[in-house]
Amino acid sequence: MTKRVITLSVNGTDHPIQVDATDRLIDVLRDQVNQKSVKEGCSTGDCGICAVLVDGRLVNSCLMLAAQCDGRRVTTLEGLLEDPTMKRMQGNFIANNAAQCGFCTPAMLMASWDLARHSAHPSDEEIKVAISGVLCRCTGYYQIIDSVREGCRRE
Amino acid sequence: MSEQVPQLLDSLRAKAERGELLYIGENIVRVDSLEKVLGSPVYTADLLPKGTVYAKLFHSTVPHGVVKRIELGAARSHPGVLGVLTSKDIPGLNESSAVLLDRQLFADPIVRSTGDILGAVVAETSPAAADAAARIKVEYDRMPTIFDPLEALEPDAVKIHEEGNVAKQMKIRKGNVEEGFVKSEIIIEKTYRTQFQDAIPLEPEVGLAIPEDGGVRVIGSMQSPHNTQAAVAKVLRLPPEKVRVIQAVTGGAFGPKSDETPYDVCSTAALAAVKFRRPVYCGMDREDSMVMHTKRHPFVISHKTGVSRDGMLLADESMIVGDTGAYASLGVFVIARATFHTVGAYEVPNVKADSYLVYTNNTYAGSLRGFGGPQATFAFESQMEELARKLRMDPLEFRLRNMLVPGKKNATSAVMDASCGLPQCVQKVVESSRYREKVARYSNQAGSLRRGLGIALLMHGNSLGPEGNDYGAVHVEIRSDGSVSVGSGLTEYGTGAISGLMQIASSVLGVPLARFKLERPDTSKHRESGPTVASRVVVIGGNASKAAAEKLKSKIVPVAAELLRVDAKDVAIADGVAFDRTHPSRTVQWDDVVAEAYRRGISLKEEGFFMAPPAPWDHEVGQGTPYVQYTWGALIVEVEVDTDTGYYRVLGAHTAYDVGKAVNPGGVLGQIYGGTVQGLGYAMMEELLHKDGVVVNPNLGDYYIPTSMDIPAEFKAFIVEVPGPLGPFGAKIIAEPPIILPGPAVRNAVLNATGVSVDDLPVTSEKVLMGMKGPAARLG
Repeated sequence: MTKRVITLSVNGTDHPIQVDATDRLIDVLRDQVNQKSVKEGCSTGDCGICAVLVDGRLVNSCLMLAAQCDGRRVTTLEGLLEDPTMKRMQGNFIANNAAQCGFCTPAMLMASWDLARHSAHPSDEEIKVAISGVLCRCTGYYQIIDSVREGCRRE
Repeated sequence: MSEQVPQLLDSLRAKAERGELLYIGENIVRVDSLEKVLGSPVYTADLLPKGTVYAKLFHSTVPHGVVKRIELGAARSHPGVLGVLTSKDIPGLNESSAVLLDRQLFADPIVRSTGDILGAVVAETSPAAADAAARIKVEYDRMPTIFDPLEALEPDAVKIHEEGNVAKQMKIRKGNVEEGFVKSEIIIEKTYRTQFQDAIPLEPEVGLAIPEDGGVRVIGSMQSPHNTQAAVAKVLRLPPEKVRVIQAVTGGAFGPKSDETPYDVCSTAALAAVKFRRPVYCGMDREDSMVMHTKRHPFVISHKTGVSRDGMLLADESMIVGDTGAYASLGVFVIARATFHTVGAYEVPNVKADSYLVYTNNTYAGSLRGFGGPQATFAFESQMEELARKLRMDPLEFRLRNMLVPGKKNATSAVMDASCGLPQCVQKVVESSRYREKVARYSNQAGSLRRGLGIALLMHGNSLGPEGNDYGAVHVEIRSDGSVSVGSGLTEYGTGAISGLMQIASSVLGVPLARFKLERPDTSKHRESGPTVASRVVVIGGNASKAAAEKLKSKIVPVAAELLRVDAKDVAIADGVAFDRTHPSRTVQWDDVVAEAYRRGISLKEEGFFMAPPAPWDHEVGQGTPYVQYTWGALIVEVEVDTDTGYYRVLGAHTAYDVGKAVNPGGVLGQIYGGTVQGLGYAMMEELLHKDGVVVNPNLGDYYIPTSMDIPAEFKAFIVEVPGPLGPFGAKIIAEPPIILPGPAVRNAVLNATGVSVDDLPVTSEKVLMGMKGPAARLG
């Protein structure tokens, strides 16, 4: 298989990366750019725990080819650790016991942060829609929804 | 410093002065929450060293047969492949069984289900291993099959194992059911069925093995590292100490990770690591996991129940058949728990139950949150609803007349003591749901949207009971810098239970949880503590943690007393400060006390051990005291059914659990929310389907679990605290119970809204519609 070099911008840093046409974004992010917050739960786009932002849009990185991201901006949780909205969201997740096993937590935080960018006072229905692409098997979602509601509020 | 901090300190000191425990009942920050919100690389797949190669398991495609030939040539010559492992590559025992020795790691020569593993391809990359595995061709001589558990019980049925198709038989004999039925004025006989449920931990089963020191180091996602160590050592023919097993942070478990699948992935990785001298990662993808791991047993449960006209239960006779698929796994204990709970939270003077765990050629079943409770409770709570309707009695009133309260006896004839908090749970949910007002309002509805309420009550035996000795060890060490490390062979996989252990030690020592560090469970460091199952960490391990911390405290206090120049009995420690109870302004810092103890050469490392008292069960007589204490609960749900389509929603859920003492209330609520929603999945949508033994929906596109859009808009959860005799501070277990009640509560609510009895889970809209319009409404 022929490899080609793409430029992947991950959290603001350009990475020239050699990829096969069939390499998935999730594998390149985890294995070549060391973004271990990106988790794999189903490989079929159903669980959403591999969610990252590509050019500002939330996508399942298991369904996207790395080659499709040539020249595009990818944002993972690792890139938002200093972001004030994300920090607030993380603090709420901790305080509300919203992370149990923690495996969905990075993607849940990405979806929540994405909502917070657009809405300071989301309704519970809007929160449920915003996180509906990410499955959580531990929490039953209630403590996550509480965390997101508080986390979206701007000071 | 915020103003609250000195206030908090004052209140902690006041507690310490009174000799009370500091942090029990406080919402704590879990010790593992920071690493989780940071997305830290702490799970097995995040920890692969450079040079790791990948093992991909391949499995049978026929449900029963003899393997004639495995054609490996194409896989072996596939680019990147190091080799293929089959049963011939096993130096030790070809065995991967949790209880009965009925299952091989790599099936040879007989396969009994399509989940039977045949071997593994090892390759430089994960895609290469998967591509090569797809090229393996296996020839079988097919054998006759059984997929229906009742058929497996027939005398001339095909034998799936040489010993026959019954893996375990149980019975209960209480009173005399014949006499009870003679006295009964109404008798109902019905059969209920439940489905295969998949646990779906979001992280599937994964293991990493690294060759070292003439053995292997294994890192994996699991509930029970010591059991995994024993399993791997047997397969590799190594002494157990040459197999060091470390539990990585585990992304959900819910039961199957206490069964054989962690053995399978870890043994395979370890075999390959030793053979190829490379680190090997054996990770299941979702499909592998759903096909090859244990699920919740489908049950067929028949009840014949007699009542007097005034609504007193008089007799119940049940036949309980559990389909364990091709292998027994933990099913031998699941069937026992189901049997003990056959009439649930009610007093029935005459009980006869006969239960059978049977083999079929379906993929196998084992542990799943609730462990036989969901099936048994679905059947009997459904039966209770049918009886109430026949009696023309309100379902709540009927339950109130018969439910267990202190002094009454359950099916095993165990006498309920003062720790039975069921009445308080019922009162909470009845008030919160405005049950009586709503039942009156919904008794006369018009239009196509109909509402209904459904109720279900819970008794859940705590501890392993007759499943085995219930013990745990916890190590607590105060380091020279004053920090405290806690380690145990008991594991964390999401519930927060291990933080609970640390909270208990923190309370005893008077040192804030922020100073605590959790050691990863490691077979080379921590004592074997039995499997981490049955929600037993806080109740059993909590006592061990308390014991270890108390030993340490008895060493620390004399040192503090000398530094404070007071009598040891006057020393209290709160929030990292030791002080004189009689003159609280005289203080010495925890760190200084610890430093002084180190200077004096006092060892500050202790182990606590606790074993639950015996829970005798007379197998011959079918009576006994199988549990030391019980968790109690109640759930009322409200549904709205569209009678034109059968589509329904759960609008509200009101639930209460008697947990004895909520060590960490936020964590308890997390278990109630999460368990209830997982139970709603079981009630409404989840069903792993087999067709001729083949799992047809092993993915999350065709097997639905609840999303955030599926949860009830209104959810009220209540914690009731009636202390029990077993756990620390009266604590009872909580992780499993909340999954049990949604099945019957939803079924009963739909019945009350529509008049349709759905007697087989899940209660799908299609079944509701067929109940209203007849079989012609069947989809597809």
